Amino acid sequence: MLASIPSAMVRGADGHPLIVEVHVGRGLPGLTIVGLPDASCREARDRVRAAVLAAGVGWPVGRITVNLAPSGTRKAGSGLDLAMAVGVLVANGDLEVEAVRGMAFLGELGLDGTLRSVPGIVPLVDAVTAPEVVVPVAAAADAALVAGPKVRAVASLGELVGVLGGHEPWPDHEPPPRGPSLESVLDLADVRGQPVVRRALEVAAAGSHHLLMVGPPGAGKTMLASRLPGLLPDLDHAQAMEATRVHSAAGLGLGGGLVSRPPFRAPHHTTTNVALVGGGTEAMRPGEVSLASGGVLFLDELAEFAPTVLDALRQPLEDGVIRVSRARFAMELPARVLLVAAMNPCPCGEAGRPGACRCPEGLLARYRRRLSGPLLDRFDLRVDVVRPDVDQLLGGQPGESSAVVAARVAAARARAAERGVRANRELDGPDLERAAPLDAEAHGLLTTVLQSGRLSARGLTRVRRVALTLADLAGHHGPLTAGHVGTALQLRADVSAIQGVAA
Amino acid sequence: MTTLRSEVQQRLVAAHLVALATLPGIGPGSLLRWHRGVGAEAAWRTVREGRADPIRRLAGSRVRLKPAGIEAMAAAARRIDPEECLERQLEAGCQVLVLGQRGYPSRLAQDPAPPAVLFARGDLSVADGPTVAIVGTRNATRLGRDLAAQLGQELAEKGVAVVSGLALGIDAAAHRGAVHPLVHPGAPAADGAPIGRPIGVIASGLDIAYPRRHADLHQDIARLGLLVSEVPAGERPSEWRFPARNRIIAGLADAVVVVESRSAGGSMLTAGEALDRAVPVLAVPGHPLAPASTGTNDLLFDGATMVRSSRDVFDAIGLVVDHEPAVVAPHDRRAPDAAGRIVLDAIGDQPSALAEVVSRCELELEDVARTLVTLEATGHVVRHAGWFERSARGRSAS
Repeated sequence: MLASIPSAMVRGADGHPLIVEVHVGRGLPGLTIVGLPDASCREARDRVRAAVLAAGVGWPVGRITVNLAPSGTRKAGSGLDLAMAVGVLVANGDLEVEAVRGMAFLGELGLDGTLRSVPGIVPLVDAVTAPEVVVPVAAAADAALVAGPKVRAVASLGELVGVLGGHEPWPDHEPPPRGPSLESVLDLADVRGQPVVRRALEVAAAGSHHLLMVGPPGAGKTMLASRLPGLLPDLDHAQAMEATRVHSAAGLGLGGGLVSRPPFRAPHHTTTNVALVGGGTEAMRPGEVSLASGGVLFLDELAEFAPTVLDALRQPLEDGVIRVSRARFAMELPARVLLVAAMNPCPCGEAGRPGACRCPEGLLARYRRRLSGPLLDRFDLRVDVVRPDVDQLLGGQPGESSAVVAARVAAARARAAERGVRANRELDGPDLERAAPLDAEAHGLLTTVLQSGRLSARGLTRVRRVALTLADLAGHHGPLTAGHVGTALQLRADVSAIQGVAA
Repeated sequence: MTTLRSEVQQRLVAAHLVALATLPGIGPGSLLRWHRGVGAEAAWRTVREGRADPIRRLAGSRVRLKPAGIEAMAAAARRIDPEECLERQLEAGCQVLVLGQRGYPSRLAQDPAPPAVLFARGDLSVADGPTVAIVGTRNATRLGRDLAAQLGQELAEKGVAVVSGLALGIDAAAHRGAVHPLVHPGAPAADGAPIGRPIGVIASGLDIAYPRRHADLHQDIARLGLLVSEVPAGERPSEWRFPARNRIIAGLADAVVVVESRSAGGSMLTAGEALDRAVPVLAVPGHPLAPASTGTNDLLFDGATMVRSSRDVFDAIGLVVDHEPAVVAPHDRRAPDAAGRIVLDAIGDQPSALAEVVSRCELELEDVARTLVTLEATGHVVRHAGWFERSARGRSAS
């Protein structure tokens, strides 16, 4: 007897449909899984047998062969358990072929027959071609986010057998309590003082310019960075769907809804290469860069990251996608991030103020060598964060709230959209020339700086881009003024200046 | 007592001292004691034999030697031929000067802790005239470096040899100032005094430039003045060598000027060595809150002479010079406008971050930023890795 049951597997952030074929024939009793299963997939043998017995159905006395087609690609994870169990029951004649027609099955089985959720429900449901899909109760809310197949939630294999056997209707489970929302509740109004960093955050949000914050411990770098997502506009539907798929594939809770706000990811500096850019297992779990796609990737203590890890970021930052190639397949993960990094000016952290740092020269040189020039070159903005004044901490007026700033950012993004780009960072060459003309005074200012040799041609392009974002935020029309250009010059990330932190 | 030794004998002593100095774990103190006591050749034989007890006796009760250390020392000694050792130093272009022999600088011969053997490149007569050491922190402010360079130049122009350690920051700035009149000779001084030539005292072998970025300065000083070290050529600097080096700086100077130093800085050790030798210590005052000046302010509180200009230094070493007002460069560039003056005031005397300047002068970020770019271009402000400092020009303009 033969059964073939549709299911799906996930690789990277994408689901791939596959067919679970089960054959029950004569021979020594036993179960063999073929079609390149990995360890957790092969262990399904024991889970499926126990679950079928727990559901009150007899285990076939005969030789069972399970083939996972297409059999040339490696299968990972336990998400095929349910499809295998249903396949065994159909092949053995315990369930009618007609009862499961047009249905796909996803989920992991417990030994007592309970159905458990697996990572990647959203891309999995997205991938199945059948008109109906059976998922664990815990995954029902996530599965329902996908427009497509009708979602049936069941709690256990026994329950499913009852329904498919025609004895009971589809159960109506209470939706599980919503998880914590991913939405950011941090408001920029909590930040006292810090006028320059506030402005830098606003510019970074509006123009999607990568931002480097340099400052001593306790100056508020992390606090400021975590408020950046609150300034960014909502994700549009395509971006939200992409972010939802990535979060689901990584096994993160979605809080029962689409990821519609820009994510904020702050991986620790001990993060490995694979954890940052993704890959590693057969399932190719998305890395932190992909999880932050559409939002903010915050690297605190930038200089403490392993240099190879940071260098792995260079290509994704440039292309907006991560291409992972392995011997058997190649895949792409999204990586459109706004990179925000924070670092101490030197190992002693003493403000980097000339004359205050206690670091020996050799240590400083090593500290600087950890940051490669090409990576630092990706930052359009660099801002020095100083500890705020006591007056401002205790008394000071609360600053503008995130909502006010976000409105300006949205307006600036709208103007970028008129130029045909998502944000000003993407402007280049003739487009930038056209979008950012200079008035006479700004021209003079730039001429002076260029003549002094402190600004390169590449630096000039960035300064113009940032100046354009500043003008957009101010609602300024017409040629850029000296004020915009001057501010952009002061906020620029100057590679030599970073590498010569205290030289 | 006979001081007549044949040249052969003198050369033997020199060779053994150099060989001993090359061994690991032997510092200037032991070397001096052996040179004055048992003699270099006897000490060398004892070390070479490698028996623990005689070596312990030789080292004295204050030094604790581990068996492994003795082993390493003896093993190294067996590989080395003293004569070859000396030959290698001479080939590296180093003059080898032995305490008590001809050519050894007389200033150091009278020092309480002189190097038993000294390596030199350049002209030894440089150390005969008036000398002033200018030292300070490696992590100096722009103003500190500017002042060190100015002092170095003004002292050199009046015939004073500037002694320093060639470290980053103040040391190098002082030497660059001192080298300047030699490399760019202007009008000869009115009184016809020759230009003072620099003396560099380093903690590595003379063939190794440390820090590497001062390799050019090393060469200039060896060529134009005198470069000395008590470390044999070929040896890289170790941490303990720097404080030892500082005593030679103090020993070679008529006065020690500390331009900027933190309370625990290495320059404070140099000042301490100078006090031990009754060499006058001078210090440049700084703002009480300036971290780079806490050490110099401590020195002033403890009675060091204050340095307001090179004049104070000349007074301290008893050199009479006609004081001429510093030549003010003609104002070839724009004076700062009203906003420029406000921003210069806001920067103040300490290096300031952009955020600090903005909050102090209560102007819009755009105006401050534009003004800073202009001030930087006109040379009133120096920007360094996000910190703004007023230049000397910026101080006089605000």
